[in-house]
Amino acid sequence: MATHEEISAGLQSFYEGYQKNSKLKLMNRDWNRVIRIIASDIDSQHTLTLQNGELTVTQGVSDQNPDLVVTSDSETLADLFYGDITPTEPYMNGTLVIQGSEDDIVRLDFISLMIWGE
Amino acid sequence: MQLKKVLTMRTIVATSAGLTLSSSTFVAAVQVAGFLAGDAAWLAILTGGLLCMTAALCFGELNGMTPSAAGIRLYFSRAYNDQLAIIVSMLYMMVVMGVIGAESYVLAQVLYEVWPAVPALAWILTMFSIVTVVNLLGVKIAGGFQSALTYGLILSLLAFAFIALFKADFQLTGFLSAVGAKGLVNAVALGVFLFVGFEWVTPLAEEVTHHRMVSRGMLLAIGILSVTYALFTVAMTATTPREVLAGSPIPHLLFARGILGEAGVTWMVAITLAASITTFNAGLISVSRFIYSSAREHVLPPVFSKISLRFFTPWTAVLTIFIIGLTISIAVLVTQRYLMLVNMAAAMESIIYAMAGLAVIRLRKKMPEADRPYRIPGGYIIPGICAIVFTGLAMAVFASFPIVLLYITLGLLLCTWYVKVVVPELKLCYQEKKTTIRPRRRPVSGEQTRTD
Repeated sequence: MATHEEISAGLQSFYEGYQKNSKLKLMNRDWNRVIRIIASDIDSQHTLTLQNGELTVTQGVSDQNPDLVVTSDSETLADLFYGDITPTEPYMNGTLVIQGSEDDIVRLDFISLMIWGE
Repeated sequence: MQLKKVLTMRTIVATSAGLTLSSSTFVAAVQVAGFLAGDAAWLAILTGGLLCMTAALCFGELNGMTPSAAGIRLYFSRAYNDQLAIIVSMLYMMVVMGVIGAESYVLAQVLYEVWPAVPALAWILTMFSIVTVVNLLGVKIAGGFQSALTYGLILSLLAFAFIALFKADFQLTGFLSAVGAKGLVNAVALGVFLFVGFEWVTPLAEEVTHHRMVSRGMLLAIGILSVTYALFTVAMTATTPREVLAGSPIPHLLFARGILGEAGVTWMVAITLAASITTFNAGLISVSRFIYSSAREHVLPPVFSKISLRFFTPWTAVLTIFIIGLTISIAVLVTQRYLMLVNMAAAMESIIYAMAGLAVIRLRKKMPEADRPYRIPGGYIIPGICAIVFTGLAMAVFASFPIVLLYITLGLLLCTWYVKVVVPELKLCYQEKKTTIRPRRRPVSGEQTRTD
């Protein structure tokens, strides 16, 4: 089981990877989304907000309704945002549950692929 | 917690029915009628629809437990095992490609009939190119447009049916005496093809307020389609000679010409185009996403997970489908064996539905405490009926068309070999590459510094 801090550190790592990729920012300039990250086994919630290509990561829940809700156990979330595992594997075995439109889910996977590679 | 965007029941029904309605269903409907004397086609279609409802209930329960766009890949992985789930999913995607091949052939024949100066091959190339470019650019058919298209299509088919039945002063007579048991079983088995794809709506489970909506939407869609197909098929066979319909890949166009002349042809071409657009597009999106996600979980080579940096689309997967789809379509055009693809799809779909019924039973035993937002009433009766009946229908297709059994067995063996031999190698290659290029990023428990 990972801690809330580990998930935060993973998201920070994800954020840094995103910031380094100017092409990714450009591609997401019209993809404005609020993504809620929820750990199912510990009390941990984060919000990723994409606005005009800029990504912000905040701890806890924002006031806005989310476009996507990503739920998994803390260990999977930490590994996922550190880029140790691809989202596809836990998604395919049901460990990772994502609520939202299928197109948005695929886009989120694309972003992860561009940050962490295969 | 409420998502920003949620789908309505109208969209769910339109998506389920829209993905099912295709040009090749008209060909299948004539085949269904061919197994039965008199006007009894409606009986087989309604029975097929009713049986598909048992499968829809099973998908409803499975989807409620694991609402995911991964669909059968995830349901079967939990109920059986991951390898079997991959094998069945691969085979299913191959059959979907076959359906796209049959669909493109029928559509090309319809357009060739209207504009004979342009060869059918040119139409196939044009259609595949348009759909591929649209998908490469990431252009989506708007939900509202798709709903309008589907409901317009259903109303048009009903209007055609009523006009024809009225013109022919149709009266239903002596149907029960004309139905033989063997003919009915074969007709129902093929009738399942008319509903192929209703379950493709399950990926939308992640976008609805309540999982029951998907189950109810599927049932409603099957109900609407059953009545529409039954009326349309009876109208076709009651007003157009059966031998003319049976020998043609465009029976619906011949029927339309017979009823309303050239105005009917124009109307039917519009219907065919609308029916094919949704099926074509949905098929291409489903298979390309399957290829992409399989590459992402290292079931397929990594080249298939390449994405366009400009349009955010999995371009290698889309181009692969273009090549495979075009090859199948040309093969169908040359051999004219489009009916074999229809029969293969009917058999494969029956197998999938039987496995869905069994999956419900297995998961109830394996995970009795799991949360089930929707549970089929009546214990094991409905999933049991679904598993037994669809196994029987698959057998009926195999008995009538042994070549279908041969091709599906070959496909199964190929997929099994691939999953057992190639996939472990691919996963090993990925692990080695990952360890070399990128050491684990996340600090292991107790370690304070990053390892990279």
